[in-house]
Formats: sequence, C-alpha cells, structure tokens
Amino acid sequence: MSAHQHPHEEQDFLFKYVFSQDHKMISKQFLITGFIMGFIGLSMSTLFRLQLGFPGESFWIIDFLLGSWAENGVMLPDKYLALVTMHGTIMVFFLLTAGLSGTFSNLLIPLQIGARDMASGFLNMLSYWFFFVSSVIMLISLGVEGGAASAGWTIYPPLSALPQAIPGSGLGMTLWLVAMAIFIASSLLGSLNYIVTILNLRTKGMTMTRLPLTIWSFLITAIVGVISFPVLLAAALLLVFDRSFGTSFYLSDIYIGGQVLEHSGGSPILFEHLFWFLGHPEVYIVLLPALGITSEIVSTMSRKPIFGYRAMITSMLAIGFLSAIVWGHHMFVTGMNPFLGAVFTFTTLLIAIPSAVKVFNYITTLWKGNIKFSPAMLFSIGLVSTFISGGLTGLILGDSALDINVHDTYFVVGHFHIVMGLSGIFGMIAGVYHWFPKIFGRMLNNNLGNAHFWITIVSSYGIFFPMHFLGLAGVPRRYYTNSEFPLFENLLDINTLITWFAILAFAGQLIFFFNFVYSALRGPKAPQNPWKGNSLEWTTGVKHIHGNWPGEIPTVHRWPYDYSKLNENGDYVTGEDFIPQIVPLGEGELDGGGH
Amino acid sequence: MIALVAIVAVLLVIATAVQILKIAELRATESGKEIYEISAKQSKAQAFLLMVFLVAYFGFFAWQVWKWGGLMLPVSASEHGVGVDELMNITLWFIIPVFIITHIFLFWFSYKYSFSETRKALFFSHSNKLEMFWTIIPSVALTVLILVGLSNWNKIMTPISSETEHVLLEVCGQQFMWGARYAGKDGKLGRASVEYIEGVNALGIDVSDENSKDDKIVKGEFHLPVGVPVQFVFRSQDVLHSAYMPHFRAQMNCVPGLKTQFNFTPTITTAEMKEKTQNENFEYILLCNKICGAAHYNMQMNIVVESKEDYEKWLAEQKEFGAE
Amino acid sequence: MTTISLDNIKYKAEIRQKTAKPLLWIGLISIVMFFAGLTSALIVSKSNSIWIKLEVPSMFFISTILILFSSLTYQLSMSFTKNNQLKFATITTILTFVLGISFTVTQFYAWQQLYQSGIFWAGEQSNPSGSYFYALTALHLLHLFAGLISLLVVVTKSLLKKYSPTNVLGIQLSLTYWHFLTALWVYLFFFLKFIA
Repeated sequence: MSAHQHPHEEQDFLFKYVFSQDHKMISKQFLITGFIMGFIGLSMSTLFRLQLGFPGESFWIIDFLLGSWAENGVMLPDKYLALVTMHGTIMVFFLLTAGLSGTFSNLLIPLQIGARDMASGFLNMLSYWFFFVSSVIMLISLGVEGGAASAGWTIYPPLSALPQAIPGSGLGMTLWLVAMAIFIASSLLGSLNYIVTILNLRTKGMTMTRLPLTIWSFLITAIVGVISFPVLLAAALLLVFDRSFGTSFYLSDIYIGGQVLEHSGGSPILFEHLFWFLGHPEVYIVLLPALGITSEIVSTMSRKPIFGYRAMITSMLAIGFLSAIVWGHHMFVTGMNPFLGAVFTFTTLLIAIPSAVKVFNYITTLWKGNIKFSPAMLFSIGLVSTFISGGLTGLILGDSALDINVHDTYFVVGHFHIVMGLSGIFGMIAGVYHWFPKIFGRMLNNNLGNAHFWITIVSSYGIFFPMHFLGLAGVPRRYYTNSEFPLFENLLDINTLITWFAILAFAGQLIFFFNFVYSALRGPKAPQNPWKGNSLEWTTGVKHIHGNWPGEIPTVHRWPYDYSKLNENGDYVTGEDFIPQIVPLGEGELDGGGH
Repeated sequence: MIALVAIVAVLLVIATAVQILKIAELRATESGKEIYEISAKQSKAQAFLLMVFLVAYFGFFAWQVWKWGGLMLPVSASEHGVGVDELMNITLWFIIPVFIITHIFLFWFSYKYSFSETRKALFFSHSNKLEMFWTIIPSVALTVLILVGLSNWNKIMTPISSETEHVLLEVCGQQFMWGARYAGKDGKLGRASVEYIEGVNALGIDVSDENSKDDKIVKGEFHLPVGVPVQFVFRSQDVLHSAYMPHFRAQMNCVPGLKTQFNFTPTITTAEMKEKTQNENFEYILLCNKICGAAHYNMQMNIVVESKEDYEKWLAEQKEFGAE
Repeated sequence: MTTISLDNIKYKAEIRQKTAKPLLWIGLISIVMFFAGLTSALIVSKSNSIWIKLEVPSMFFISTILILFSSLTYQLSMSFTKNNQLKFATITTILTFVLGISFTVTQFYAWQQLYQSGIFWAGEQSNPSGSYFYALTALHLLHLFAGLISLLVVVTKSLLKKYSPTNVLGIQLSLTYWHFLTALWVYLFFFLKFIA
C-alpha cells in the first residue's frame, strides 16, 4: 500500500476494506468471517439436536435447509455424521481458533504494546485471506457429491481415508483436507506475526512484566500454535498420500466393500498420535486467549488489579508447556502401553494445578472489588464458572482407569463443550462486548447484552450439564439415535430437554447478532475510554488511523493494573480510580503491584 | 410459500426490534444519561440475578441427580469395575465439594462487591502465602487421585497369565456388526487375516492353521461364565471400532492391522442383574463406541453371563469351525 | 493527517528492518516442527513388524556434498558483498544457484535409483519405509524450491546492483534460509541412513 501517493482518506475501497494491511481492519475481517462461520456451526448443531431430541420425527426446517441430506424431513444417518463433523471443525478451528485469536490478537497486540502495526502487514493480510479461502472451501465441501467430510472432526483413518466406508470420505474429505492445509498456513502466518510483534515492537518502557495478560495469553497461544500446527499438517499430508496415491502410512489389513485393499504396514494409531499432538494443544489455543481476555476484563470492571499477575503468567506458561505432553490421554483405550498410559495420566492431572491457581486468582480479584456488571463482565464470570464446571470433570477423564468407562461417551461431550466450547465462546463474546467501542467506535446495547448473557448461560448449562448423565448411563457419542437400544429407552426425556435448551440457545444468539449489526451501524458513538481502562489501546482515538497514534507513540511507565491505588491519606493517587500506563510513577511509588 | 412468509415475518421482527431499540435509546439520552454508563442500580440488579442463578444452578444439579440418578448404569458386573466405581466415587467426592465451594465464592463475591459510588476497591495485587496455599492444596489432592488411579489402572491392564483358567475370546468389528470367536478346546485362536475372508468365512480365519479347527464362531450373542476371567482379543476388518461393554466398565478400540486386548471377570449373571435392576428385559450389551460409518449407532451384540455349567452346555452346542 | 502519512512510510521500513529476521526464524521453527512430526512418525511406524530397513542410495551422498558446498559459496557471496566486492558476490550467488539446481537433479537420480532397486512410493509392493524415503526427501525438495526462488531474486537484484555493504537484509534472509535447508538435509540424510 502506498500511502504517500494519496492521503489515506482517498484510498480506494479495495485496499481499505478488502486487501487491507492494517491490523485493525484485518481484525474486523477475522471477527466477521469468524462469526459467520460460527453462526453456520451453531445452526448445524441446532439441526442435529432436533434429530437427537425427536428421533425420526419430520421437521419442515430440516427439509428446507438440508435438501438432499434429508428425506421426508428426517436427516439421513450418514449426513448426521457430516453435520457433526462440520460442526466440530467449524467451531474449533474457524470460530474459536481463527475467529478468536485472529480478531483479538490482531486488534490488541499492536494497540496494547504500543506498536504502529504488526511486524508484517503483508503476511498478516495473507493470513486473513488464507483463512477466508479456507472458509469458502470448507463451505463448498457441504455441497459436493457424497456430502461433506463425515469422519468426525478428528478424521481418524481408515474411515476418513476410504470413500467405501462412508460417502463423505470422497470429495468432501478431500476438500476438508485442502481447507485445513490452507487454514494451517493462515494460522502459522498469524502466529509468526503475533510472536515477532510482541517480542520486537513494544514501545519504550513496555517491559515483558508490564504487558497486559491478554498479550501474554496471545504470545503463549501463538507459540503453542507454531509448535503444534505443523505436526497436524504433517499428519494431514500423510493422510492425503494414503488417500490419493496409495501409500500405507495409516492403512493396513483392510477388507471393505467385498475386497481386500492393497495397503499394508501402516497404523491408524500413528495418525492418532500425530493428530492429538496438535489436537490437545489446540484446546489451549482456544482457551488461553479467552483466559487472557477475561483476566483483563475482570480486573478493569472490578476496579482492582488482577490478583497474582506473575502467578497468572506462570500458570499460562505451565499450561502451554504441559499441553504439549498430554496428548496420550485421548488414546487410553487404543491398546497403548499401560506404562505410557500412566505417564499421560500423571501429566494430564498436573494441568489441574495451574488451572486451579488461575481460578482462585480470578475469585480473589473479585474479593473486595467494586464491580460494574457490563455484559463483558457477566460473560467473564460465566467463563470462570464454565472453566470450573468443565475443568473438574477433566479429572475423571484424565484418569486412565476412569476413562475406560466414559471414553467417547456423552460425558466427554459434556466435558469439552463446557470447558473448551463455552469458555472459549464466553471469552470471545466478553471480548467483543468489551472492545466493541475500539473495533467499531460505537457501543453495544447493554440491556440486550444482559439478556443475551442470561439466555446463553442458562441454556448452555441446560444443554451440556445433562450430557454428563447420558454419559454415565453409557450413551456413546456420535450416535444418530439412541432408540435402537432398549438400554437407552428411558433416556429420551433427557435428550428432548437438551434439544429445547439448544433451541433457546440459538434464539439467544439471534439477539446478539441483532445487537451486533445494529450497534455497528447505528449504535451510540463511543467515548475514547468507556470502561476507564489503563492499557494503551484506550489512549488511541476512537477513529481508526494508520499507525494508531498521531505523532509519537506514548511511553509506558507502569504495569496495566493500577486500579484503585491509594496514597498514604487513603485517596486515589491521581484523583481517579485508575492510572493509565502512560502516567509516570510518582515519587517513591512502586510499580507492578507494589503498594 | 411458507419460506416466503417466514422471510417476511423475520424482516418484520427485525424492523420492529430496530424501532424499539431506537426509541429506548432516545428516551435514555433525553433523560441525560450516557446510555453505556452502568449505574450502581443496574449493577446491583445483575448481581442479584447472579445469586438467583447460583441457587438455580445448584437446584438444577440436585434435580438432575434426583430425577435421573436411577437411570445411570447399574452396579458393575465385573471384578475390576468395582474398583473403577470406587475410584469414581472418590473422585466425585473430591470434585463436587470443590465445584460447590468455588461457585459460592465466585457468585457471592460478585454479589457482595457489586458497584457502589461510595466504596473504594481494595488494591490487593498479590500474596505469596495465599498463592502458595492454593498451589499446594490441589497438588496434594491430585497426588492422592493419581496414586489411587494408577494402582487401579495397573490392575486392569495386567494380562491374565496363561496358567490360570480363563476363557479366550476374540471379538472382531466390521461395518456394522460384531463377530465373536471362542478359542475352543486347545485354548488357542487360529490365525486370522483379511486375506482369508471368503464366502462364509466372514472373519477371515486361516483354514490351514491347526489351531483354528476347533475354534467356535458365534453370532448374535456370546456367553460368558460367571466368576471366570475372560481374555478378550480385539480385531477390526475395515475401520476403527471400539468394543464398549458399559456394564463391565470395559472398553477397547478395535484397530485394523493390530490386535488389542483386555480382560475382566464377570461377577453377576444376566438373571441376577434382571433382579437387581428390576427389569425383565435387561441384557448385557456390546456396542460400538468409535465413529465407524452411517450405521455406527446400531452396531450391537448381546452378552449373556450365566453359571459355568450353563455356559459349558451352551458352548458345547456351538459348531466347531473345522466342522463346517 | 499529512504527518501521519509521512510517518507511515518511515515506520513501515523501520518495522521491516527490525522484524524480518525474527519472522524468518520463527518460520523456521515451524518447519522444524513439521519435519520433527514426520520423522517421529517414521520412528513410530518402524516398530511395525513388516518394516524393511533400506540402504540410502549412493546419489544422496553426492546431494549432501553439493548442498554443503552451496552453503559455503553463498556464505562467501555474503562476505564479498559486505566487503563491497560486488562482482565476486554476483558470481558466487550464481554458483550457489547452479549448485542448488544440481542438488535437485541428484535428488531425481536418487529416486530413480530407489525405484530401480524395487523400492516403490506407493501401491501393492510398497512398504511404508520406502514411502517415507520418498516423502521426506520430496518435502525437503519442496522447501528447497522456495530457497531457489529466493536465490533467483537475489541473483536478479545483484545483477541490477541493488545491494551494497549496508544494504544486505535481503541476502541475509535468503542466506539464513539456505543454511537452514542445508542443515535440514544433513539431518534427514543421517536420519535416513542410521535410524530408518
């Protein structure tokens, strides 16, 4: 982009809105694309909940939306699996990885560390456009012959490798793999930028221990991404070779469709190892940014410093590190060496310690605070609640002996939707409510926001809490219906209840989308610092400009959590209950939470 | 037509909502407020709702336990399963109090310290003592859980030594049914591979192998003697399956190209379980628990546990593979 | 507003100076993880009973020598540029490019050798050990193509006399990547020779 040739007001539409290299515009693009994908993923889940809650009943809406995937208003069994697969893929990768990290890392990293822009605007733009292309391919795969990928979002071979095994493993799976390869490239380009920007472009005075926790969480997330995504790419490539060229990395001794396949010597377990080497860190790629965002919000809205800033960073580092050595807990029942199982149980349960520290620190931050309940704050409290509720059941699943009986049941579905799905979404939505004024220069409506929160939290617990009971009753996941088993006859009521809550949750999100679109276009104009926050992004103007700060970038003199700091007389140091990072330290004043 | 009406209706709803929102915002601005400001009153209201939610959440939990507690899997029908259930109870007794206490603190603090114009928040940024305290407590609790868990795990995963009396049973998964094969008199399973699949030989057993002559293939259901350890060997012919026997707290993946194993000792016969669950139709079941294709949801086999005499009688009636 | 526009150009150049190298390094880490994933996959696959131990084709030795030599010439070109001996720099860069191309050619010969000795990439007679041989070397070659493109850019720019002792960032980046490719090849070579 050549800004010196024309003043940037006159920049053509194409470069301002489409091929923008400005981090704030790219952030908006990620947010909107992510939300569109999220809405599609959400709708899919509502549709297959209809089948689970009312098995075999005919619905007009299913016929209308699914077309050839349904017959007489009832979805087909293999297309149910396609919906489940695409729901998982879209939610985990497109909404909660690209949508969440892409939006907030792009928006907040330069603004909060005091940088003009990302390290490479060009790579950043590429990162978005790879994501966009990947999203489009993923959506196109819904319409191809045989249907979309149907082997579960974990695409275990041989099911994902053989079109004879399920129709979705034909062209649909090919497109899935292409889309994911592009997605991984996008994610890596993003992560490179985030890491280098944070390490190299901080403004004067912004030491690592003065970074807001958001930035720390984005940094650790990006590092985890750089380490684990390439391994998924390797796994996917070998799968492509097996599918398209007839190699035998994952396949061996298969008799299907009346003939013996010529593959020999491979092992599907190898794929599981490679997949979960990314797959588990991926959980934290989703979770850590959400934790970072809510740490910031809880501190700002409680008008208190975040409790245990250094412990919070250490915990995130510990979680990031441990996440890379626990993948085996997804494979306790694959016949792995029992000793290896014991090791993975040990490392997995270790993660509970930093997680517990984080929860207690959140709660202590609230203690003796002066809490303003904005929708962002409500969602942050919701996140702490889901993080506890979902995290605790992880102690059951992470224990190899207990996992044998609940592995791949609805207990798991309940667990990961609460701890990863809800926490990730709550963190993302909290971030949107909090930084909407920074993104769009306008305010969201608080009353609609509150209504959105209450409907969301009530309905999502209504959906996922009962799933634990289904799991303890022995119901496996990814079942099209439970009515084939006398064993599960009495459980239909639970499924029906869950479906009603799912419909409610869907309706609740419509309120949010309405609020979002309305406020982005017509909402009241935002002031520069609506939440009276300390961090640097609130020192920039409401109107976006290239380079973020006119003139010099401000120098930073203190950590970002000086809320309600008092002097000896018991008055606020600056007369207000917050001290922005750009205010120099007073005489004898200690930085970083010293009194 | 219905679609058209639906679209019009949706548009109308949106238009109405926009108008209502506009009016609400105008009224708020007229009364001189910044509409994004959150007043103490509004904060209090949300804080109150949080308390209501806390009570409702606990209530919902209790209601589910009361309403659905009886629908959970009955008492474990295998020896190791009792240990698994005990471990589950220990873990639950640890988890549930933590769940309740942390939630009470979280929501109570939110309620108690909601915004007030007159109060100042406490500048409290860290405390090494507190942080040490809540690092050490979970560490200790987890150490206990890990130790108990691992001792259970080791027990479950130890294979049966070949000298003890046991049943050797192979379970083979394919889209979308299970096959089972007993080792027969010699106590050895004959060689099997997908190459040998042909016609009636659906499990792919090597006819030329001496060990396979007396193997017994059963369909629809398989029987187990109560009190005798069963050594399972699992195979798959096409894609991944997972043999899940919830009543025995047993599960193992079936992997093409690989043999996996698991063993347990059934302790309760089907007849006894019918009494215990007061359900005439009760059957033990083997189901598939790894996504394997369109009919994954309907891949099952019944298991009958009976006295050793009945079991032997039943087994004697089954045909030997070599006899076919 | 004009001041910002002026700043605009300045800060972009400054950011580039500051971040180009770290961006490359972190990119290299992700490539390392990619190959780490593949080589550990090989180690897992090796435990399978039908794994066949393969001999490294002799052509790979020549590849190794060629690529080591190309790293040396590229490094020389860098020091020539720094000493303002631009003509020598151009010559050595072109030499590097030629060596890179010869490396590519030897790879194809090596695959031919493999094929002739009955080791196939895919199909009924293939074995995962053979497939890994092809996959690992081909994926390395794919990364090498990116290196060759960067070399072409450097060659063109040095022919156009765009570099000077103070302006070597472009060469520096390409050089780092090229050394990385050499190191990666040496790792793969020893890995295939002794582990696989």
